[in-house]
Amino acid sequence: MEERQLVRLAQEGSPAAFEELVTKYQSKVYSMALSFTRNREAADDLAQEVFLKAYLALPRFHGRSEFGTWLYRISINHIKDYLRKKGRAKEVSLEDVHEVSFSDKEQTEKAEQERETEARRTLVQRFVQGLPEKYRVIVTLRDIQGLAYEQISQVLHLSPGTVDSRLHRARRMLRKKLAPHLIGERGAHEL
Amino acid sequence: MNCNKAEKWVLRSLDGRLDERSGGLLREHLEACPSCRKAETEYRSMLALLRDGKDAAPLPRFWERLEPRLREEMEIAPLVFWERSCLRAIPVFLVLVGIAAGALFFTPQAAELSQSEALLLENVDPFSETGQIFSADKADTRNMMLIFASLDEKTPVRRPLP
Repeated sequence: MEERQLVRLAQEGSPAAFEELVTKYQSKVYSMALSFTRNREAADDLAQEVFLKAYLALPRFHGRSEFGTWLYRISINHIKDYLRKKGRAKEVSLEDVHEVSFSDKEQTEKAEQERETEARRTLVQRFVQGLPEKYRVIVTLRDIQGLAYEQISQVLHLSPGTVDSRLHRARRMLRKKLAPHLIGERGAHEL
Repeated sequence: MNCNKAEKWVLRSLDGRLDERSGGLLREHLEACPSCRKAETEYRSMLALLRDGKDAAPLPRFWERLEPRLREEMEIAPLVFWERSCLRAIPVFLVLVGIAAGALFFTPQAAELSQSEALLLENVDPFSETGQIFSADKADTRNMMLIFASLDEKTPVRRPLP
């Protein structure tokens, strides 16, 4: 069934239709929450709350944008609120990340390949956490979630040009911080 | 091409947003510039690591845990709606009370009423006097009565000057 139809049915009160939408988007919403919180339980709670909000707001969804875009907007706003309430926005500074990353790296040097990859991923995500909010959001949407530029532009209410320049700046900042680690393990990281 | 532009194009190419011609120019630049080659490798590694963490699955039984919460919310929702409606109704009610009070305050009081209105409010027929005048037999008497009745009114009477 097409997404538009599912949305219409869900708006008319069909739990089965909404369940399908949840199944389709739960991983995306969850992984977005996870990339901001770095905590599985908190991310799961946030994802549930996002779907609750979306369900209650469904009557106000007029289909001017894609359902996914609308849901991402709810997710971003809800996650930002959560982080503000928890005061986590400045929890990880870049200096902290450096310290953690070295110890992580030392620990994972002798570990298995999978653990090593996971550690690297954690390291990168911690660096992402250390970015200022506006850059963190855009990197998360584009480079972690893989949203198209146009979709990001709609979710964040930014012009495509702003998305482009902000993303460019964010990636440069990230690379600058990550460079020492990337150089040392260049071969292992390449696609 | 300078290195700043090359860096932008590297990122665009990694996003799949660089056209063929620009891609060719970029490749030429990368072949000649070791620092941009290094940047390209680092960006590639960085984006690969970032995109790697995309497909995380939520905790098990996501829908089974969500569904009762949805039902609960739907039960609460109408109550919340009424609560909000009542809260919104308070200022509307106060405004209506204000309007009603204002209307009462500015309604003309008995002192401002015309003589006929005052008589009507006192349940007295305002035409009784007029009736007497018109029931007079003689025309002269009627005229005199009309003159005297008009003198009772507060309107000044003009007398012809000599």
